[in-house]
Amino acid sequence: MALSTTVSQRKMIRRKAPRGFLKRIFKRQKPHLRLETSSDLLVHLNCLLFVHRLAEESRINACGSKCGVIKKEHVLAAAKVILKKSRG
Amino acid sequence: MAYNFSPDSEPTTRTLLRQVLDTAVPRTPRRARSTRSGAQRDLLETPSSRRQRSQTKMTARRRSHTATSVDRLARVQASGHLEEQTPRTLLKNIILTAPESSIVMPEAVVKLVPSPQVVQPSRRKSSRGSLELQLPELEPPTTLAPGLLAPGRRKQRLRLSEFQQGMDWGHLSQEPRENADASSLTSSLNLTFAMPLQPQSVKRPGLARRPPTRRVVDVGTFLQDLRDTSLTVAPPGESHRTPVATVPMDTVLEDTQPFSQPLAGHSPSVHHSLPCPSPSGAKEVEGAASRRTRSSGHGLQNSYSGPGKPAQLLARKMEEVEAIAMGLPNTSSVSGEDGIEPLQNGVGEEAEESMEESMSVREVEKAAEEQGSARAEEPEGHTEVAAAAGSLGAIEAKEPEGSSEDEDTSASPELPPSTPEFLRTRRLQFPEPAPPPSTAVLPSELPKHLSARIPPRPRIPGSRPRQDPYKAGLNHYAKLFSFYAKMPMEKKAEEMVEKCLDKYFQHLCNDLEVFAAHAGRKTVRPEDLELLLRRQGLVTDQVSLHVLVERHLPLEYRQLLIPCAFSGNSVFPSQ
Repeated sequence: MALSTTVSQRKMIRRKAPRGFLKRIFKRQKPHLRLETSSDLLVHLNCLLFVHRLAEESRINACGSKCGVIKKEHVLAAAKVILKKSRG
Repeated sequence: MAYNFSPDSEPTTRTLLRQVLDTAVPRTPRRARSTRSGAQRDLLETPSSRRQRSQTKMTARRRSHTATSVDRLARVQASGHLEEQTPRTLLKNIILTAPESSIVMPEAVVKLVPSPQVVQPSRRKSSRGSLELQLPELEPPTTLAPGLLAPGRRKQRLRLSEFQQGMDWGHLSQEPRENADASSLTSSLNLTFAMPLQPQSVKRPGLARRPPTRRVVDVGTFLQDLRDTSLTVAPPGESHRTPVATVPMDTVLEDTQPFSQPLAGHSPSVHHSLPCPSPSGAKEVEGAASRRTRSSGHGLQNSYSGPGKPAQLLARKMEEVEAIAMGLPNTSSVSGEDGIEPLQNGVGEEAEESMEESMSVREVEKAAEEQGSARAEEPEGHTEVAAAAGSLGAIEAKEPEGSSEDEDTSASPELPPSTPEFLRTRRLQFPEPAPPPSTAVLPSELPKHLSARIPPRPRIPGSRPRQDPYKAGLNHYAKLFSFYAKMPMEKKAEEMVEKCLDKYFQHLCNDLEVFAAHAGRKTVRPEDLELLLRRQGLVTDQVSLHVLVERHLPLEYRQLLIPCAFSGNSVFPSQ
């Protein structure tokens, strides 16, 4: 079951992929390359997974420091790890 | 005797007790029967036994102050003893000790007594016997002469039984089944009566439940008033008039309602109203006759035969009214009082009358429309009716509105079961907000606009176009981050997340470029993405890409990504 389907949070979670945004980013970064239609969605999937891992790691850091709120340092430490992981 | 009590809003029991007390001064308990029976009958009629109790209590206390000869002492003693007991015992003592004027002969009293007794023969007989035993135990201080004790007991029994009947009369409505199971119940009742009377009061919640019967009636009348007021509220001008108007005037003013807006001012509408009822009177009679003869629903259908939309409006409104009327009986039935049934019938009649009035309103509307005064303004009239009737009318009157109206219709059927007040208020509100948001803004669209507007970071005017949509997209993922985290976050943390995302995108593009170049392509294809995911460790031998797609992407995207076989030996997306 897709996680998105179980979303029932207070705020509305948009499940639509910002395909135009992603394409614009890719074009800005690599103008000489083209992005296919389906790969656009997979890029979005990749972003989702990245953000998911980042959030998990940040939460672990925050809980590790006995803090009920995610702070900047938690996110920073988590980003270091996850970006390294996502390097590919 | 001086009336020590201040007149209350409910004169029934109080006045009765007053009479009892007043007449009770210099009399023997024997004659107390007559007034007591009358008092009990009145007690029977009163819906709330609590008031009885309270009043009896107050009367008991006040009786202690009344100046009388012998009975005073008795009452004082009784009251002194009464205070220790429950109101029921108080009242009983009062009834026992308070002599009254024998308006009716004892024989008549005897006749009167059996009449209510017949209603509950099974119960009463058993209860009487038990009560007999109770009385001497519970009321030792009674100063009845010993010679009178024997007949007094019988009379006590009668009086108490009458009183019990009075109590049970209201309670009977709640528990009609008890009569059916006479044997078991009587035995149980015997047991209960064997106990002190206090548990009876506890066991007989009917005494406490009587107020609801009143509410039913009130609601019924209140419905009518609401309808009248709602019908009058729709037109802006006459809202203040209609509530003041009397009942016959209400019907006239209701008729004027649909004309008020189509017509310029109140006076022409009033003038129209006057002649209108006369021609519509026949229609009212016909409608009423049709309605009366058949069930309300059928009657409505008959009434619908004539006009189109207004009839439908009427139909639905009357359905709603019926629903309300039925809802009231349902609510009342919940309490389970048979005494409510006649009230329900009254409510139903009232509802029918209100429906008739509404029907007359519609008919008058048609008459007026036929007259041609409201031809050009039929939609307005319809809108008026809609505002008065509800969202249903609004839907019909404003068909071009579309989905928003449909939402109202879907919501309106759910409303009738609710209190009529909400009906009026909501229905009145629905037509108003319905037209403005005709586009039916979806809630999902709102956050998009909001998020698009949220990031106002124009650090450099030239690069602003890059910032805003860029920030908008990043905000999308930042929100996802906060959602996944399930914990409160600081603003700085969110900014940090955005920076990380920025870096991540850069890495992503670089990797994709490398992969595409490795494959000798200049276009990034899904295979490159899959390779990226695999290298990131998200896709493993156990977890395939399709699994991730199914997990995290909505259905529409999944259909685009995962090839699925369709009929005709076709696969989409084609490989």
